[in-house]
Amino acid sequence: MTITPFAALRLCGAILRLASAIVPADLRRIWRLEWDAETRYEAMRLAERGARGMRPHVRLVWRCLGAFAHAVWLRCDRWRIDMWLQDVKYALRSLMHRRGFAGIAVLTLALGIGANAAIYSAVRAVVLRPLPFPEPERLVQLFSTTVQSPDRASGTASPPDFTDWRRESRSFTDLAAVNAGTYAMTGVGAAEQVPGAAVTGGFFTVFAVAPLHGRTLLPEDDGAGPMSVVLGHGLWVRRFGSDPSVVGRSMMLDSTPYRIVGVMPRGFAYPLSSELWVPQRFTTSDLTTQRGAHYLDVVGRLRLGVPMQQARDEMSAIVATLRAAYPDSNRDQRVAVHELRAAMVGDVRPALFLLLGAVGVVLLIVCVNLANLILTRALARNREVAVRCALGASRFRLVRGLMVESALLALAGGAGGLLVAYWASLAIAAAPPAVGIPLLGDTRIDWSVVAFTIAVSLATAVLVGLLPAWHTSSFADVATRIREESNTTSGLGQRQRVRAVLIVAETALAVVLLVGAGLLLRSFVKLSLVDLGFDAARVQTMSLSLPDAAYPQPVDRAELVERLLARISALPDVEAAGAVFGLPLTDFRFVISMSTLDGRRLPSEEQMARSLQVRVVTPDYFRAMGIPIVRGRALTASDRRGAAAAVVINEAASRLLWADDSAIGHEFTLGTRMGQGGVNAGGTVVGVARDVRDFGPGQPVRPTVFLSHAQFPMGFMTFVVKARGDAARTIAPVRALVQELDGDLPTFQVRSMEQLVADAVAQPRAYLFLLALFAGMAVLLAALGIYGVLMHVVAQRTREIGIRLALGAERGTVIRDVVTHAGFLAGAGLAVGLVLAVATTRLIGGLLFQIDRYDAATYAVVSGSLFVVALVASYVPARRAARIDPVRALRYE
Amino acid sequence: MRRLSVTAVSVLQALANGHEYGFDVIDATGLPSGTVYPALSRLERDGYVRSAWEDERRAHREARPARRNYRVTAAGSKVLSESLRYYRTLLPVGVPRKSEA
Repeated sequence: MTITPFAALRLCGAILRLASAIVPADLRRIWRLEWDAETRYEAMRLAERGARGMRPHVRLVWRCLGAFAHAVWLRCDRWRIDMWLQDVKYALRSLMHRRGFAGIAVLTLALGIGANAAIYSAVRAVVLRPLPFPEPERLVQLFSTTVQSPDRASGTASPPDFTDWRRESRSFTDLAAVNAGTYAMTGVGAAEQVPGAAVTGGFFTVFAVAPLHGRTLLPEDDGAGPMSVVLGHGLWVRRFGSDPSVVGRSMMLDSTPYRIVGVMPRGFAYPLSSELWVPQRFTTSDLTTQRGAHYLDVVGRLRLGVPMQQARDEMSAIVATLRAAYPDSNRDQRVAVHELRAAMVGDVRPALFLLLGAVGVVLLIVCVNLANLILTRALARNREVAVRCALGASRFRLVRGLMVESALLALAGGAGGLLVAYWASLAIAAAPPAVGIPLLGDTRIDWSVVAFTIAVSLATAVLVGLLPAWHTSSFADVATRIREESNTTSGLGQRQRVRAVLIVAETALAVVLLVGAGLLLRSFVKLSLVDLGFDAARVQTMSLSLPDAAYPQPVDRAELVERLLARISALPDVEAAGAVFGLPLTDFRFVISMSTLDGRRLPSEEQMARSLQVRVVTPDYFRAMGIPIVRGRALTASDRRGAAAAVVINEAASRLLWADDSAIGHEFTLGTRMGQGGVNAGGTVVGVARDVRDFGPGQPVRPTVFLSHAQFPMGFMTFVVKARGDAARTIAPVRALVQELDGDLPTFQVRSMEQLVADAVAQPRAYLFLLALFAGMAVLLAALGIYGVLMHVVAQRTREIGIRLALGAERGTVIRDVVTHAGFLAGAGLAVGLVLAVATTRLIGGLLFQIDRYDAATYAVVSGSLFVVALVASYVPARRAARIDPVRALRYE
Repeated sequence: MRRLSVTAVSVLQALANGHEYGFDVIDATGLPSGTVYPALSRLERDGYVRSAWEDERRAHREARPARRNYRVTAAGSKVLSESLRYYRTLLPVGVPRKSEA
C-alpha cells in the first residue's frame, strides 16, 4: 500500500474534522485554522523538497493525530478542576447558610440510606455471600420427598436409602449423611449439652475444609473401634482454652469415651451451630430393616463440570429403581437436589427481598421529599439563577452547580447511612435464633455493603438533584423568570404543579407500604389469637438427655424420670410436673405409620395414610400443660410397665381413625419397635386429648398419639413444670434435684412455654416490625411533604388571602381552602397508592395468615388514617393562613 | 518561584530560539505534536507565551493559509531562565556539560 501526498492531506483533513468535535465550540474555528495551516504548510514543504516514499507522509499523518491530544486537553482545560472546586465551595457556602435544611436533609438521607444498607447487609449475609467453603456452588443437599411435593426442600433419608444413593450415584465427588443432635459433654469442667452432628466418613471431603489441628473424620471411623470426635473452633476455644495438644485426648460424650482427633478452623459449622462432629455408624439392622426410618440429612459435592440437572436426573433414576425394588417403604418416594445455600435459607429469601424493596421505597420517598424541599429553596433562588443565565452561564453549568449541592448532601447522608447501617447490622446479627432466618448472625458491614451504600448515595444524589436542578435552570425565558421573581403571586402554577405531583407520588408510595404493614398487622393479630390448645402461663421447661451408656436399659430411664418427677412435684412452688418426648413448638417431628388397627394388619397404602405424630408422656404432662382430656381419661400411674399398653390420642387422630367419635377402647400398633422388649409402639385408646398446634399457630394440627413413658421409656425428655407463681423460680431447684440424682446430667434448653409461644411468632413479628417501621417513616415523610407544600402555598398566597380577608372573606373559608388543598393532595396520592397496593400486595401473599390481600377493612383503615394525617399536616398552614393580617399582607407586597 | 516542566522548558526554549510556529517547535524539540500543542496552549493560558497570526498577504503570496505564531512574553522569559537555572543545579558538580565536553 502506498500513500500519496494528496491522500495524506485528505487523511489529515479527516482527522482534524473528527478531532475538532472535541474542541470547545468557541475555540473550534481558530483551532481548525491553525492545524489546517500547519498541515498544508508541511505538505508544501515536503513537495518543495521533493520528498519521496511513504515515510514523510506517514509522519505528517502521525503528527496530525496529535490534534486529538490537543483537542482533549482544551476540552479538559475547560472543565478544569478549579471549576468543580468552585462549585463545591459555592455549594458548601450555600448549605452552610441553610444549616437547618442541610441538617434535616442529611439526617433523613442517613436514615433512608442506612436502612437500605442495613437490610442489604442482611440480604447479603443470608442470600448473597458465598458459604465459607471452597467452591460452595458445587455443594448440594438431597431431600427424600414424596410424589405430592417432589421438589420441596425438606425430607430426610433413611440409612439404607442413603447407602444406595451414595453407591449408585456418579454425579458427586461424595455424599455424606448428617444426623444433627446434642451431646452431653462431661469430664471437661461442668457438664454441658453441646450441639453437634453424627456424620458419615465423606462429610469433610464434601465440604473440602482442612482441619486446624489434627485430622477430620475418615470413612474408617464409621466402622468398629474407638469413637472419634472433631471439635468445632468455638468449643475448642471455650472449653479447651485453644490448646493444640488437645488432639489425642479423650472426652466423654453421653457417657461414652471419645478420642479427639482434630479441631476445625473458625467459621466451619454445618449444620449451623454445630460444635462437634462424631462418626455416624450404622448397624447391620439399620441398613437392612430401617428403610422407612427417615432421619438423615444428605449433603454432597457435585463433580467438577457436572450440571445440577444431570445430578437431578441421575438421582431420580436411582430413586425410581429403589421404588421398584422396595414398594412397601418407597412407593411414593421422590428425590430433590437443591444447592446447599438455597436449602439452608429455605423460604425466607422472598421475604428478605420484599423488605429490601420496602426499604427502597422509603428511600425513594426520602428522595422525593428532599427534591421537593430543594425545589422550594430553588424558587427562592430564582433571581440568582436568572441573573447567572443573563450573564451567559450555560444550562449545563447551572445544573452542575445545583447537582453538586445534592451530591454533597447525598454523600454526607451516605456517610451517616454507613454509621446507621453499622449499628443496625449489629442489631440484626444479634437477632434471636427464634426469628428463624438462617445465617442472619453473619450480618456485617463488608466491602460489598460499602459499595452498595456508595452506589445508593450516588443514585440518591441524581434522584434528589436532577429534577430541581433541571427545573430551576430552565432559562428559556429569562425575562419571564425575572418578572416572576418580582411578582410573587403569578407564574407559579407550573412549579406548584410539579411539587404537587411529587407529593402525590410520595403519598402513593407511603400508601403501598402502609397497606402492606396493615395486612401484616392484621395477619399477626390473627396468628396471635390462635388457640394453641394448651395453657403456657407459668410453665417452665427444661430438657434432659439420658445417655445409653449410663442408662442402657429402658427401665433405668423410666425409673430416673419417675424419681425426678416425684421430687419435682413435691417442691412447694410446683403445681404439677410432667415430662414429654416431643415438646410442642420445638419443631419436633416423629411420624410413624400405623401397622395394625384393632388387630387387623393394614395394607401398605393405608399404613402411610394413617401415620401419626408420636409423643411419649408421663401421666401429669396433660395437667402441667393444661391440655384438657375431652373423652375418656388421661394416662395414669397405672399405665406402667407390665400393664396393657394404653395410649391417648388427640382429636385430629380420633377424626382420622374413627370419624364417629368412638375412639375409646379401640387399639392399634405403629410400625416401630420402642420401649421394653422392643414391642411395637401402640396400645388401647383410653382417652382423647384436645388438639394442640405442635408446629405453631400457622400450622395445621397433626394427628398425634401419646404413649406412656413408663411403657415406652425414652432417653431424651423435656420436663414441663407448672409453677404456682413465677415459673423461672423453679429452674434452680429442679436443676439441683437433677444434680442430686446424677451429677453428670446437664439440663439444657431451659425455656418457659411463654417464651416458646413468643418465639413461634418471632419471624412474622420481625417482618411486621420492619415493615411497620418503614411504613411509619413513609407516612411521616409524606405528612412532612404535605405540610411543606401547604406552608409554601400559604406563603405564596399571602397577598391574595390578605385581599380576600380585607374584602370580607370569612377566616373559616380560608381554612377550608387550605384543608381542601391538603385533602386533594392526600386523595390523589391515596387513589394512585391504592391501585399500586392492589397490584403489589401479591408479593406479601405468602406472609399472610387467614387474611385476604384485598382485605377491605385494611384498605379502609389505611385510607382513613392517611386522610387524618393529611388533615393534621394541614393544621398549622391553615391556622397561619387564617391569621394573616390583611394590612400587613398588603403592606408587605 | 513557579518552575516549568522539562517539556514546557523545551518548548519555551525553542520559541526563544526563534522557532515560532507549532510544527517548527515540534521539529526543533523532537517532541510529538500531542505534547507540543497542549504545552503551547498551557503556556499561553498562563501568560508565558503570546500568539498572533502571520501577515496574510505573505501567506497569500505563497498560496497557503496564514500560520499562527507564538512568541515568548516577558513573564515567559523570566520563568524560562529561572527554570533553566534550577535544572542546571540538578546536574552533578564536576561533570562537564555536553556542550563543554
